Amino acid sequence: MAFLEQHIHDEPKTFVSKYLISYDHKVIGKQFLFYGIFFLLVGGLMALLIRWTLAYPGVPFPVIGNLLFPHTGGVVPPDTYAMLFTMHGTIMIFFAITPILIGAFGNFCIPLMIGARDMIFPTLNMLSFWFSMASGALLLISLCLPLGAAAGGWTSYPTLSTTLGSPGAGQTLWLLSLFLFGASSTMGAVNYITTVITLRAPGMDYFKMPLTIWGIWLTSILNAIFVPVLGAGLILLTFDRVFGTTFFLAGAAATSGKGDPVLFQHVFWIFGHPEVYILILPAWGIVSDLLSFFSRKPAFGYKMTALSLTAITILSTVVYGHHMYTTQMSPLLTQSFMTLTMLISMPSAVFFANWLGTLWKGSIRFTSPMLFSLGVVFVFGLGGLTGLYLASTSIDLYLHDTYFVVGHFHYTMAASVLLGGFAGTYFWFPKMFGRMMDEKLAKIHFWATMIPLNGIFTGMMMMGWAGMHRRLYNPFIYEFTQNLIPLNKFVTYCAITMGLVQFIFLYNFFKTIFGKNIPQASSNPWEVGTLEWTIPSPAPHYNFKEIPHVKCGPHELGNPNLTDGKDFQYQTEELVKA
Amino acid sequence: MATKAQIQEEKVFQNSVAMTVTLIAFGMMFATLFLGYFLVRANAAVWPPVEIQNMPKLLPFLSTLVMGLSSLTYFKMEKSESQRSLYWSLTFALGIVFLVLQWILWAALKEKGILVSNGNVPSMVIAFTWIHAAHILLGLIALLWLGKFVLKKKEELTVIKLMNVGKFWHFLGVIWLLIYLMMFVL
Repeated sequence: MAFLEQHIHDEPKTFVSKYLISYDHKVIGKQFLFYGIFFLLVGGLMALLIRWTLAYPGVPFPVIGNLLFPHTGGVVPPDTYAMLFTMHGTIMIFFAITPILIGAFGNFCIPLMIGARDMIFPTLNMLSFWFSMASGALLLISLCLPLGAAAGGWTSYPTLSTTLGSPGAGQTLWLLSLFLFGASSTMGAVNYITTVITLRAPGMDYFKMPLTIWGIWLTSILNAIFVPVLGAGLILLTFDRVFGTTFFLAGAAATSGKGDPVLFQHVFWIFGHPEVYILILPAWGIVSDLLSFFSRKPAFGYKMTALSLTAITILSTVVYGHHMYTTQMSPLLTQSFMTLTMLISMPSAVFFANWLGTLWKGSIRFTSPMLFSLGVVFVFGLGGLTGLYLASTSIDLYLHDTYFVVGHFHYTMAASVLLGGFAGTYFWFPKMFGRMMDEKLAKIHFWATMIPLNGIFTGMMMMGWAGMHRRLYNPFIYEFTQNLIPLNKFVTYCAITMGLVQFIFLYNFFKTIFGKNIPQASSNPWEVGTLEWTIPSPAPHYNFKEIPHVKCGPHELGNPNLTDGKDFQYQTEELVKA
Repeated sequence: MATKAQIQEEKVFQNSVAMTVTLIAFGMMFATLFLGYFLVRANAAVWPPVEIQNMPKLLPFLSTLVMGLSSLTYFKMEKSESQRSLYWSLTFALGIVFLVLQWILWAALKEKGILVSNGNVPSMVIAFTWIHAAHILLGLIALLWLGKFVLKKKEELTVIKLMNVGKFWHFLGVIWLLIYLMMFVL
């Protein structure tokens, strides 16, 4: 679709063309949203099973334990425990967060916020979703295999992930599933990057784009470059498992020849560290916009925030070694990686300060999207600062593979991204479905999530600092960890609370979509000026009747020169000057 | 109102961007494989290791020649409208010949005792050629699709179709050249 010929197509009429095999970016965005929420529930249940085992080793899981593990009387068995933490990580990262933050918001927001009628390659967009469906199906099927699903950790290090460590087809299906997921992500990335470069409305310079688009666009660049790196590692590991190659088998694990298990770690983390930013950049972008919208003033240091996000994107490609300090790499390398990792804190500090600057003296409206955005500011602050400990070689040698690491990356990758995802969902829901979610329930959802969430991840960091290692079925067989049992119980109660609270969100979400007598959303319920709010809610299938002409930035709020009673300007309006 | 030429020019630009991103993605996958190879080679006490000392020389050279020729015929196909069908057929045939040569190469490697189970260096030689051949297969499917327009629906053949398939095909040629130089020559 050329920019110059963005025709208005007929609206699809049948259920299949409208909701299943749809080319419409908005429908595909919603498909990704439902897909992500489904996997969020699956991954969340797995988290609760893990937490229960750590709080009450050997005690049956309440209510559904007997149904899930009839052979052990409802107790999570050790091999299943390994499978659970592997699948929990995999599902949350690739099948929950990625579809929601990148698939749903990327698809829904990019054309609407840059003033286009659709993505540049709608068919590729649809294929991207169906590839991810196939990928998710493969992963779920692997749960039903006789020897179970993959159990080598979400990082799938050899030798744990070779046929020696993981016999059975579960690990192979995991590899194929992730390969398909990679193909889906790459298709999406090609589409997003090209759409942003070539379909921006007239006047929409890069520095007039909302920061949400900056975040998603930079994420897509990282996706296009680094997901294929994981693809290469997955192919080689598949070859080791299926065709008898020996890339990663060494020592007693190899029947003949010699491979190098650490080679996989290099490949994995060359992808894996940028992956952290792949997940978090869209959330940062969304939060940067929402803080400005609901502080009713322009984003402080907009350009510097965009450039900081770009600097982080670039730096994220050269720091992967900090995940491998304990692999006996040379001190010169560890110090180089440490310095580069520390360097990332500089652009991070810049945009974090800009967030605070945006809030400063703002006329803050504490709506649900704003509350969740403020939540991101808080949890990312904690997650970011604790990252500095792990960047330092000497401290990391002690903290490596402890629950401190688990707490840290959950603060950054899970808490920040989850809260950012909720902020985005509450914010764009009216434009997606044409109805307003219940604000009261949304605010209860926020507080009831935020409090236990911090209980969980702070608790994890404390137990990690005390030396408790991750991935142990029963860490309390060691005497020094036994006094951590009460803390583990506390974390588990917090996790159960947080899990149950999500039903408030689900109720609010589905009731608003399918319920009767729900108030309809106006075209601009939040009173902001980006392009998607210039059209009716829900967005019509063609998006814009006329392609808009952009005349000002995305955060023109609180302008004292405005005289018509509103405190914001649409991007299609000339900037009002004194 | 935009003219047809303006729309065409814009579409070429859009497809160039998309294809560049796509090739960067494919390139990164191969770059990772090469990085692994470099790491192994840099850490080897002796090079070439005993597992690959009898590597065939002629077959990979012939493959390189065939791949180079196919790129040349593709280039001619893009330029010569009158003989497009001929050059398309030649490119496609050379692609098939390349795959046949690869098959013979794998048989020769097996005969010389260079097996995937003998360590990561022979694994790399064989697996990298497998992966490249799988991409050649994709390239041949793309060529077949292009053939539909070259041979039958000529009015639907666009510069963009020729350009996109061509970029992918030439890219695979470059990748093969790198594999050949790194694994069979240097």
